[in-house]
Amino acid sequence: MKYLPLVWRNLGRNPLRSLLTAAAIALAIALVCILRTMPAGMDAILASAAANTRISTHNEAGIVYSMPYAYLAKVRAVPGVVAAISWNWFGGAIDITKGVEFPNFAVDPDGIAEVYADWGLDPKVFEDFRKYRDAALVGHITLEKHRWKVGDVVTLQSTVFPVSLSFRIVGAVPTSTPAFYFQREYLAQALAAAGVTFDTTGMIWSRVDDPDRVGPVMRQIDEMFRNSEAITATETEKSFIGNFFSGLKQLVTIIQIVAALVTLCIVFIAANTASMSIRERVGEIAILKAIGFRKQTIFSTLLAEAGLLALVAGIAGAATAFGLLKALRVFASGAGPQLGPLTAFVVSYTILVQAIFISFFIGILSGWVPALGASRRSVAQTLREVF
Amino acid sequence: MIDLVNVSRLYHRGADEIHALERVSLHVPRQRFVALMGPSGSGKSTLLNVLAGLDRPNSGEVTVAGQRLNEMSEDELAAFRAHTVGFVFQFFNLIPVLNAVENVELPLLLTHLSRAERRQRAETALRVVGLADRADHRPRELSGGEQQRVAIARSIVTDAELIVADEPTGDLDAKNAEEILSLLQTLKRDFGKTVVIVTHDPRAEKWVDEVIHLDKGVLLETRPGGAARGGAA
Repeated sequence: MKYLPLVWRNLGRNPLRSLLTAAAIALAIALVCILRTMPAGMDAILASAAANTRISTHNEAGIVYSMPYAYLAKVRAVPGVVAAISWNWFGGAIDITKGVEFPNFAVDPDGIAEVYADWGLDPKVFEDFRKYRDAALVGHITLEKHRWKVGDVVTLQSTVFPVSLSFRIVGAVPTSTPAFYFQREYLAQALAAAGVTFDTTGMIWSRVDDPDRVGPVMRQIDEMFRNSEAITATETEKSFIGNFFSGLKQLVTIIQIVAALVTLCIVFIAANTASMSIRERVGEIAILKAIGFRKQTIFSTLLAEAGLLALVAGIAGAATAFGLLKALRVFASGAGPQLGPLTAFVVSYTILVQAIFISFFIGILSGWVPALGASRRSVAQTLREVF
Repeated sequence: MIDLVNVSRLYHRGADEIHALERVSLHVPRQRFVALMGPSGSGKSTLLNVLAGLDRPNSGEVTVAGQRLNEMSEDELAAFRAHTVGFVFQFFNLIPVLNAVENVELPLLLTHLSRAERRQRAETALRVVGLADRADHRPRELSGGEQQRVAIARSIVTDAELIVADEPTGDLDAKNAEEILSLLQTLKRDFGKTVVIVTHDPRAEKWVDEVIHLDKGVLLETRPGGAARGGAA
């Protein structure tokens, strides 16, 4: 501790250089903190987006492959299944030249209120959805994007089927989904008129009565279709969304690798700065050794300089990331559900401690070689060279 | 105080061998003020480094204050320097980010003294060199002469028996040079220090007890200085 004032004064020797080095380390640490929140944040988003008793059944080969529509009745008959509905990708576009701008599905109106009870919609909305053949439930993101409102009529031209359908919006889905749902029967009638047979489904979404029964129900459904023409794969909603966004997870991994490389670059930058700082002081260091400072003491004080600078910078960087994401959470929670997912990214105390430790480690690593070189240098040789 | 027997120091510069010291034998009693003189490259700074424990001879024996330096490890030499030797250099070599009293206090960081004791001793040393009122000044706020006085205060603060100075007046004007030489002589006379300086400055001769001449690594002659003849003393 008695060397601390000396260490501190040496850090203040070139304030601009110390400040810039600290800023570089702080920025890297803030970046690391923010990126470290991503895996947990993604999990939280998945958990919030998924209901723990909702399961998805689709073709084992993938969701682009269909299953017989008859599977729906069999799934509904499985003990523990409260309700089930089919989903068919419609691929509807407002303007065919612009392509599909939001996901849209033909679904069964019977059971949708039970399967999506967590939407918290007024029962009258579900009633309207069942009552009107051309009714549509639309995610509020899509509503806001296209400035639609309940009661509006919109027309979508399918990119999958040879039909164009007009829909009457009867309700807004209040979650973060942009999806557009309409009655399967409406599509079936239009396709029948066009001479197209429609007896398949892309997915079946079911609600199970008890979270503890989800596993057995999933196994029972898949077992039921094991020897059928389309073998099924049933999974929880969280797992389904997770798989659907597996590409995003890979992107997060890539981002984290980039963050690690940025951190490594900062080590080199900090090492270069430490090296410059020490090189400028070889004469002074030789004097310290001459008056009796042992090489271990010289090494420790030089290393302490690099470690202290990085530690202070790390604390600043971690605090910045903590404050930034906290402010973002406050902003996102007040800005409506579109930004809701941003509230999932939280700099935990574990991340803070890890980041500060990483920063200190960066300092020690960057200072090690220059400090070792300076402490090992011969006093007599340095005095001859410098003076 | 200082005993050197057949000390040789050889340097390698590329393929060349440089004989900085060749079989130098020397005896300096306690409480003497000695000047090592000679042309550039004569080996006087090497001799100073060897007797101060900064450099090791290739052969010969070095005994200072009863301690055989040849047999010491790096750490033991560092401890020897910390306790037994005070250093003064030509370019003052103070730490620019520390003020005068903190610079003087530096060698005391290596002791077990408390912070208050360290500060008290450093202030006392500054008083000895006449700079008590400049304790809070950084080196850049001091003149060359004052900086060298601070360096001398730093060299005596541990109560080292031996003070070595490499060209202590080399960067000073005549007036300051005289003051520094006078101060070094005071350290010998009033504080019982043994002082060895390397110098080109002919003015030093009148202040010292003994002048040792070297050339090409060989000790040519030892003769009395002005102080021994009742000069500046």
